[in-house]
Amino acid sequence: MSDARILDRGYRRYDGPRLGVAGAVRSLAWHSALRALGLRRSVWAKLLPLAAVGIAYVPATVFVGVAALLPEQLVDATGLLPGYADYYGFISAAIVLFVALVGPEVLCPDRRHRMLGLYLASPLSRDSYLVAKVLAVVPVLALVTLGPPLLLLVGFTFADAGPDGAGELLGILARIVAGGVVVAAAYTAVSLAASSLTDRRAVASAGIILVLLVSGVATGALVASGADERLLLLNLSVVPFELVQRLYGEAGQVEVSTLALVAANLAWTLAAAALLRARYHRLRITR
Amino acid sequence: MSAVVRASGLVKRWGDTTALAGVSVEVGTGVTGLLGANGAGKTTLLGLVLGLHRPDEGSIEVLGLDPATAGPQVRERLGYVPEHEALTPDVRAFDLVRHLAEVHGLPSREATGRASDALWLVGLGEERQRPVGTMSTGQRQRVKLAAALAHDPALLLLDEPTNGLDPVQRDEMLGLVRRVSAELGIDVVLSSHLLEEVERTCDATVILAEGRVVASGSLAALRAGGTGLVVEVDGRAELLATHLRRTDLGVEVDGLRLVVEGPPEAGADAVRDAAAAHRVGLRRVQARTATLEDVFLAAERSCVAESHLPGLTDARTEER
Repeated sequence: MSDARILDRGYRRYDGPRLGVAGAVRSLAWHSALRALGLRRSVWAKLLPLAAVGIAYVPATVFVGVAALLPEQLVDATGLLPGYADYYGFISAAIVLFVALVGPEVLCPDRRHRMLGLYLASPLSRDSYLVAKVLAVVPVLALVTLGPPLLLLVGFTFADAGPDGAGELLGILARIVAGGVVVAAAYTAVSLAASSLTDRRAVASAGIILVLLVSGVATGALVASGADERLLLLNLSVVPFELVQRLYGEAGQVEVSTLALVAANLAWTLAAAALLRARYHRLRITR
Repeated sequence: MSAVVRASGLVKRWGDTTALAGVSVEVGTGVTGLLGANGAGKTTLLGLVLGLHRPDEGSIEVLGLDPATAGPQVRERLGYVPEHEALTPDVRAFDLVRHLAEVHGLPSREATGRASDALWLVGLGEERQRPVGTMSTGQRQRVKLAAALAHDPALLLLDEPTNGLDPVQRDEMLGLVRRVSAELGIDVVLSSHLLEEVERTCDATVILAEGRVVASGSLAALRAGGTGLVVEVDGRAELLATHLRRTDLGVEVDGLRLVVEGPPEAGADAVRDAAAAHRVGLRRVQARTATLEDVFLAAERSCVAESHLPGLTDARTEER
């Protein structure tokens, strides 16, 4: 006699455990992160985010190849390989592009398509909703702010061009992680705050790029014309990367104290987070 | 009857506008219609049930908890179908329903199984892998219903669920709502401005007008409020009506149908005597039952009359 049987489950009542707010935050963060990367969506939705991620890893791959293939003396003599902090200089455009894509993709469609009302009809509150969104964006941005320097470290280590000894390796690893988190946190706050001002992704993306470019050009021009160097602390496309330089003990381009840089990064991040929270607490959700 | 929603003296103001002006109501098990014209306060009341707003005055209890202080615990046991389109178009129906089940607290494995079951329940089993944006209005409405059901709510809130549907889709949706209550034992609050929809689907109704409850109770109890007789004759209706009016009875004539006001017993005797005296053939004599429309219109009329009382008008003006 066959063991085959018809399994007819159908809709039934559920009396198992419920995971509450923590489960809701985890699910929303995961769903939003996948969405930001275009996963489980059309090919066109994957194109730009994956291209930006790819671009961020190209220089690291080339440098690791150079370290592996060329003789050590030649590499040392010509200074072909960049420092870990300098690496951001090669990929800043890819980071800006990625930041301009991720924040709007994570935040805008929920308001545009009124999914926000459905989320707030679940165990999520406005604050836990925003926490989930931040938890989605930080690791996704870390793909370009943390991943490439990590690849560089691993590649250099295997190519014998890396740090000497476990102590130095751990030191650099800690700096890479701290630097990646600083850049990801600052740009998460800025991109989400900008995205909270409109429900159109394209407008939010353009706004983020504009803010980063304008703050850079304007402060640069003012300082060049003799204004105080500290004005550069308003330059959003420089401030996080300058702090990363200080993490490696390098002077960087802005002649201000490290404390001022830490304060500027904190101020930008907290101000953007406050704007984001204020926007969402003012939204009237009736349906 | 155990109450799933119990509200007492609820007041909610949006700036200068009073959306709810002292709503006290108990919503029991089964399907309850929340009936009222646009702007009557239905959506605001649903928002308070969900804990999306706090009442300015009064208290509300949903499933035995206060949604303002125990919002997450209340909402994980509620299913909500909003009035408007509320689905991201490029997400597949199955992914969306599973995700919303997880957001309501179900573990991932359970959410996966139940999302599929809920979509089969609403008749979209074969379509579950389609992006929501490629579906018809009726299908999207059913996806919303599946998303509200997948986590097995104790109470389902439906805000104008048949908006934008054609008559066939409307019938299907209302049939589904009845099934959800009758077969699955899930209590339902159906907000609507369509009398016929509430009359067909609901066991009880709460009628709101200008932010106040003007009538509530089971449909049977509300309809029993009608008085008088309905009389059908085979001719000479006007003659019979004239004779009845002479005996101080109020009579309205509509073709061969008369509506006789007053107590049914007294009216029935008068109709019998008048019909015999004038040799009018009676086809039917029946105690008059109010339709929900009668109840609704009477409630609206009493609300308008009250709002024109000088004292009340002054009080409301001051309140605003």
